[in-house]
Amino acid sequence: MIQDGYVLSPQPACCYMKNWKPFFPFLMSRSADIIPVFPMNDADHAQCPAGPAEFVISKNRHMKQTAKTTKRLLRFLVLVQFLILTGQSFAQNITVKGRVLKDDGQPVQSATVQIKGTNSGTTSNENGDFSISVPGNGILVISAVDFITQEIKVNNRSSLDVKLAAADKSLDAVVVVGYGSLRKRDVTGAVVSVSEKALREVPVANLQQALQGRAAGLEVQRVGNQPGAGAQIRIRGIRSITGSNEPLIVVDNIPWEGNLNDINPDDVASVDILKDASSTAIYGSRGANGVILVTTKKGRNGDTRVSYNGYYGIGKVADPFPVYNAAEYISMRNLSTWGAGYMPEELRGISAGRNTNWQDLLYKNSMRSDHNITVAGGQNGNTFSMGGGYYNETTVLPGEEFKRYTLRATIDSRIGKRIKIGLNTQNTVSIQNGAQFVSGSPLFPLLALSPLMPAYDSTGAIYQKPWGNVDDNNAGQRYNPLYLKNNNNNWVDRIRRLRTFNSLYAELQILEGLKYRFNLGLSYAQQHAAQFQGADAAPANPNYFRAAQGNIAQVDNGETWGYTAENLIYYDKVIKDKHKIGATLLYSIQEAQSFNNSVRKDSITDDFVQFYNLALSTPINGANTTLSGGESRSAIISYMARVNYSFNNKYLLTLTYRRDGSSRLAPGNKWFDYPALSAGWVISDENFMKNVKPVSLLKLRAGWGKTSNQAINPYESLGLVNNSNGLQAGSTGGNVIRYNYGPTIVTGFNVVTLPNPNLSWEFTQTTNIGLDFGLLKNRITGSLEYYDSKTNDILYSVTLPVTSGVAGSYLTNIGKMSNKGLEFTISSTNINTRSGFTWSSDFNLFYNKNKIIQLSNGITQDIGNQLFVGNSMTAIYDFKNLGVWQLNEAAQAAQFGSVPGQVKLLDYSGPNGKPDGVINSTYDRFVIGDQDADLQGGMTHRFSYKGFDLSAVFYARFGGTLVSQIHQPFASYLTVLDGRRNGLKVDYWTPTNPSNWFPMPQASISNISTAWSTLGYYSGSFVKFRSLNLGYTFSKSILRSLHAQSVRLYFTVDNVATLFSPYYKKTGIDPEGTGVGSQGVSNPGNIRGNARGNGAITIGLATPTRRTFTFGANITI
Amino acid sequence: MKNKLITILSVVVLTMLINGCSKKLEEKPYTVFSTEYFKTTAGFQSGINTLYSGFRFLYGPEGAVGLSTDGTDEYTYAEQPRNGAGGTQDYLTLGNYTLDAANGALLTPWNRSFNNINLANALIEYAPVVPISNEERTVALAQIRFLRALYYLNLVQYFGAVPLDLGTGDLKFNQSPFQGFNRLPVDQLLVKNYQAIIDDATFASQNLPDKRPAGAFRLSKAAAFHLLAKAYLHRGYSAASQASDFQSAYTAATQVINNQSLYGVALQSNYFDVFRAGNDYNSEMLYSVERIPGNFGSNEIGTPNSIGGGKGTDAHNDFCGDYTSVRAPLASSTAQPCRTRAIPYGRPIRRFCPTPYTIFTAFSDKFNDSRYEGTFRTVYKTTSAEGGFTTSMPSGTTYNVESYTADTAFIMALTNQIADSLNGILPAGPRLKPYRVIAPREFYFSGGSIDANITRNMYPSIRKFEDPANLDANNEATRPFPVFRLGETYLIAAEAAMKTGNTTEAMNLINVLKLRAAYRPNLSSAEVTNRYNAIRLTNPSLVTIDFILDERTREMCGECTRWPDLAVRKKLVERVQAYNTDAAPRIQSFHALRPIPRSQLDNTNDPDKAKYQNPGY
Repeated sequence: MIQDGYVLSPQPACCYMKNWKPFFPFLMSRSADIIPVFPMNDADHAQCPAGPAEFVISKNRHMKQTAKTTKRLLRFLVLVQFLILTGQSFAQNITVKGRVLKDDGQPVQSATVQIKGTNSGTTSNENGDFSISVPGNGILVISAVDFITQEIKVNNRSSLDVKLAAADKSLDAVVVVGYGSLRKRDVTGAVVSVSEKALREVPVANLQQALQGRAAGLEVQRVGNQPGAGAQIRIRGIRSITGSNEPLIVVDNIPWEGNLNDINPDDVASVDILKDASSTAIYGSRGANGVILVTTKKGRNGDTRVSYNGYYGIGKVADPFPVYNAAEYISMRNLSTWGAGYMPEELRGISAGRNTNWQDLLYKNSMRSDHNITVAGGQNGNTFSMGGGYYNETTVLPGEEFKRYTLRATIDSRIGKRIKIGLNTQNTVSIQNGAQFVSGSPLFPLLALSPLMPAYDSTGAIYQKPWGNVDDNNAGQRYNPLYLKNNNNNWVDRIRRLRTFNSLYAELQILEGLKYRFNLGLSYAQQHAAQFQGADAAPANPNYFRAAQGNIAQVDNGETWGYTAENLIYYDKVIKDKHKIGATLLYSIQEAQSFNNSVRKDSITDDFVQFYNLALSTPINGANTTLSGGESRSAIISYMARVNYSFNNKYLLTLTYRRDGSSRLAPGNKWFDYPALSAGWVISDENFMKNVKPVSLLKLRAGWGKTSNQAINPYESLGLVNNSNGLQAGSTGGNVIRYNYGPTIVTGFNVVTLPNPNLSWEFTQTTNIGLDFGLLKNRITGSLEYYDSKTNDILYSVTLPVTSGVAGSYLTNIGKMSNKGLEFTISSTNINTRSGFTWSSDFNLFYNKNKIIQLSNGITQDIGNQLFVGNSMTAIYDFKNLGVWQLNEAAQAAQFGSVPGQVKLLDYSGPNGKPDGVINSTYDRFVIGDQDADLQGGMTHRFSYKGFDLSAVFYARFGGTLVSQIHQPFASYLTVLDGRRNGLKVDYWTPTNPSNWFPMPQASISNISTAWSTLGYYSGSFVKFRSLNLGYTFSKSILRSLHAQSVRLYFTVDNVATLFSPYYKKTGIDPEGTGVGSQGVSNPGNIRGNARGNGAITIGLATPTRRTFTFGANITI
Repeated sequence: MKNKLITILSVVVLTMLINGCSKKLEEKPYTVFSTEYFKTTAGFQSGINTLYSGFRFLYGPEGAVGLSTDGTDEYTYAEQPRNGAGGTQDYLTLGNYTLDAANGALLTPWNRSFNNINLANALIEYAPVVPISNEERTVALAQIRFLRALYYLNLVQYFGAVPLDLGTGDLKFNQSPFQGFNRLPVDQLLVKNYQAIIDDATFASQNLPDKRPAGAFRLSKAAAFHLLAKAYLHRGYSAASQASDFQSAYTAATQVINNQSLYGVALQSNYFDVFRAGNDYNSEMLYSVERIPGNFGSNEIGTPNSIGGGKGTDAHNDFCGDYTSVRAPLASSTAQPCRTRAIPYGRPIRRFCPTPYTIFTAFSDKFNDSRYEGTFRTVYKTTSAEGGFTTSMPSGTTYNVESYTADTAFIMALTNQIADSLNGILPAGPRLKPYRVIAPREFYFSGGSIDANITRNMYPSIRKFEDPANLDANNEATRPFPVFRLGETYLIAAEAAMKTGNTTEAMNLINVLKLRAAYRPNLSSAEVTNRYNAIRLTNPSLVTIDFILDERTREMCGECTRWPDLAVRKKLVERVQAYNTDAAPRIQSFHALRPIPRSQLDNTNDPDKAKYQNPGY
């Protein structure tokens, strides 16, 4: 039933037929030497390719038979194609043979040679040769990865040599700009790209870590050190006090809500970061914090390749915490106020010369491994990529582990000439162990236990209560942390998470230059967090977590789901070769919903039940069950229009406009508009620059735009009452207002939030000026950006004085903030010798100056909320610590009610605006600094010679103050120096040791009750050598014998060294944060909490950083 | 043609989407409530529950105990704050009067009251529309107003004048984000404060039920009259005093005393029974803040073995000396037979210890007056078998030692004489007891005045709040915490009578308590009479304010009212200087008011914050 009239290509190439083009080309063979799908006669039948399944697997192998069903299907499809396609006339075809070569004459393999305006094409072979049948007046489009695409008119030539110029990535690489992409040279906003290569240079668990130090204006600060811990990402500073400052993340066109751990960094092909409002305005109400556009790997035309990327690494603690050894501990204790003397076992320890190193005893080697397999290929624009990954990381502490399994697939396919569809699915299951209550829990004992106490008793059993004082041994939860080494059904601490993220698109070419595209994203995530702590069965099976207590279990289940539907219209038109117009129109809706519930129960019938059936419980009393839950839903509806115009490729203009409506705002206040415009001028293309040879590129950009952030939570504009008493839910609950009248238990409600129908977004207006440059034939490229952004109508939860009668705080649109900054990026090829030695480097340096311009009602400071006009939002307000009162200052100290050896605070001011000789919390606390870096950046050096490559990655921050809660005595209890426990080895004052750092161990370190908080401030500057990476890529000849395309083996050391850090010198092991908000037992009160993700980054007790030695391989066959 | 079709189709799809979607922008929360909830029957009642529950912050937790007890003539800080043990600085500075506005204990009353006062204002405003009967409404309003008055009384006794206008007008439900602080002018506001308290308490005394239920502390007229009497008495001593105040206080107090069966109240015959565990709902208790035994979640205690910071009772541990480190049978022994904590003895967190005044002056007669032994634990049984002491209590666990057989480990002797006699010192001879007998001169007192190694920080520990039914010795207590009891009603009536010049009536009222104090079970009535005669008052002229305060120590020691009792009566400085060596050097007259907490001033939207602060801070 096959129609007449088609001919075979005389050369092995893709089949095509006069008057029509394949409709389902993915059914066809992808290899150049495989012949068409549709046989003409029996002789040809022998050369017939296989069905669809064969397409992926077989190579150079012809199936003898074709399944009848496949034939039927194909015939059906052919008929369908006839119905769909319009007739087109073709010129006479000729066969063109040619070669694709590099500048230096070397062949380019796997270059795609396509006939313009069709889907017909072929690829070049190993020698760069290709052969194709093409209309004599046709145009060939030759493209290859890393090269500039070229178009060549055939002009009835039968042989063609094509030289492809290496793509200058800085100029012609395609940059994803949101709802589309642009050539880099056409970009007018502030966009920075991070390549796949850079993302891969440091082995990391997640994307945040991969991005740290990689792009100017992108600040990634660690907020934890467990495997899979997140990070705080800020693009060009902070704009919101109470709203989220996290950038919008868009994965393959669809906004990504939630956990970035769900993305396998190996699946990411590139990351583009939109920094200024002129480029983020297309995301309107979500654009203010910048946008991170993640593009995952796609298939591309060419042979099907199987590649493996993987590594395995072993790590050790990079730096243990410095604590006092036995002798130092004894000196401190003897000097302190501790009156209870030594424990009998400690006295034995002293006489035996014991010096127990608790950290050594518990720390183990950490491990990190990653394995990814990708299969990718495609032909004629019908491409696919699929793969799976497995990541596993453990730390130096027992019980901490992060595992991730990923499966993903991408298919892009053409249906005829006008329709393109694609599906992308990413599925992740992750398991995080130890993140809830295990993580970090042994650290306090490790540092505080007496080095005089034994770890094991004479029989070799773990010494059960090794504290150096009776109280700690008596108090609950004070067993030897070495019990953690063996989890004998003692605990389960697991978060298991499933995320499936799918996007589907369909693109319809309506007319030449006019395209309609529909994107649909569906996301679903389920998280199950289980906690179980078994009953203590000391001495047989002591439970570290439940000393002298029964068991307890908790299960939290939550799900979030959402969809995004986008309708887009694209229009592109070139008029008279000079006016290039591109327009984009959007209508979209996004909805997200979440729901969670949680059960906690104690007295589980038996430990082996764990949390699997909480009905199996024998309550001691009726109230051992705690339940909680919650729900939220939000939706956004948006319209957007964007026009790109360029004249002569020299003058560029972009205009955008977006209108967003949000469910989170009160009725009548839901819709807002976001305009932006930007322009570019390619100065180097001007005639007057033609003679300035060293300058290969000079482009000036300027833009302005307005954006906002979604700083209001669902239901927030409503006035709320709830049953929370504001207390911590402990093991028995206790966070719900309850009362009892005799035996009758009741619940209470109270007002927590005042209603505010006028709530609206925070609007940011940014002006950006950028200069891109290329020097010496673009051997040096870079850019310089200056921006000035101002955020108005800033929302914040005003902590009302409690006398207002509302216990909570009040969210309102007040205040203004500004961020100004400068960003500098430069990439250069420093050395490129004929022998093949190259040294190139990437360097970025930036600063952001954050300043609060206005708070409500002319208030210059809001101490309760740590907000100070004229200062950064990370300002630290406290007394100024001047060190320690020295012996020769006794008289002066006495005037302040102090004695030598106590903390010396600055008498900053007084009631008359002058120092008054009294330290007073009203007049002597002031903004003593902030946590912002004055300057930060990253640097990467890459060397290569023959097959070897070496790279070194550095990350640095200069300026700013860090808050070390492990050095705040009553936050951490590690530097109290009261003789009760061991702690960090700080240099304390004694009459014979005039330290100016820590006060003398004594009952009262100051006559000011909160002076202890001032001992936790240190310079935040550091330079870190993040990773050193040595690789070897096998040569072609070896590869041939291995039948492989490419093989690279490498060795990496991460956390190589802290090259500079004043804090590190002062017994801090790592100047990067370990958490957000106060992590202490006592809260110093001047640390912003993390209610909305804006907490101050602090250093508390957390899993120490590992230095990992990793072997890895990148193999493609 | 086809293009047109596609275009039309697209337009249709788009239009459908747009129309269907605008509804998506409406919010329909499932899990959150608005203030409208308080207009429903259930919501209204839940608001009242919240008001009752709020007092859990103010009666029992460590902050409340410290604020009301530390730095008085009766009590000073014990070993832990003295040695700067973690988290106890607030009690050191409260006790030696170096406290500043950042002291955390101040936040217990300050931060936990105004939201409940505002809720009370809301409930009073919403009450008319709540669908309940008028009788129910009146009783509900009486409870709300009682509770609001009590919140204010607490605040005023510590801080002086406090805002009645939270942002929307006096005693109005405030829903505006008010950042001001309506405290000025302080003298006028104090007048309004007391008037509001008295108005509320008066309304409550007229409209509450006569009696409370036998097994619960729902509010009743007896509690309301007590509150009213106390309010009048406090005002009588204040700058806002009115001539009739003491008479009014007397009238209100005697309303209860003279109509005990009407109000369902009566003194316990045995002083020890007033606070005996298991007898929490006895007839003497007019109002206690309730907690339910063993149920930590319902007591709003998330972590049972935590200390302070929430709504759990710490009082049973705060007064607890370090019995675990007491050596026996001799001070020089190595054995510590109470090494393991025991549930009735509590967790020895040794925050507060009595002054010599309490042990030697107020309780100078520990024999005839049963209240010393009714107040302090004197006998400790072995919890850890060592040094020859035996116990059937399993080792290493913090069980209720009373339910096991155990040797006596040590006693806290009533007098040095008794101790010397039992220890064979005077008269010289063999020791008469196999256990340790600790003489009062060995007690740990203020200033660490004796060798800590002898008694290891042990002093007489208040037994009134012991919780033998608790699950662990380290836990917070789960017993109701008494707020008003009839014993104090007598004292208020006596004091009011004295202030109106009727010292005979005052003496008679006090003697009622003396008679009860003489009583011990198993004594013959003649013996009780003998003892009563030894301690009774016979000369009305001896009834002075100092006598009343001494008697309050004997009757109410440890009941967490001492600091305000002294401060309100303007006796704080004088008596602290006389009796408390830790506090005497620093205390000044301005200390009779606590500082307005720093966080309040930090959050107040006014650069001139000093004008709101109490003088001296």
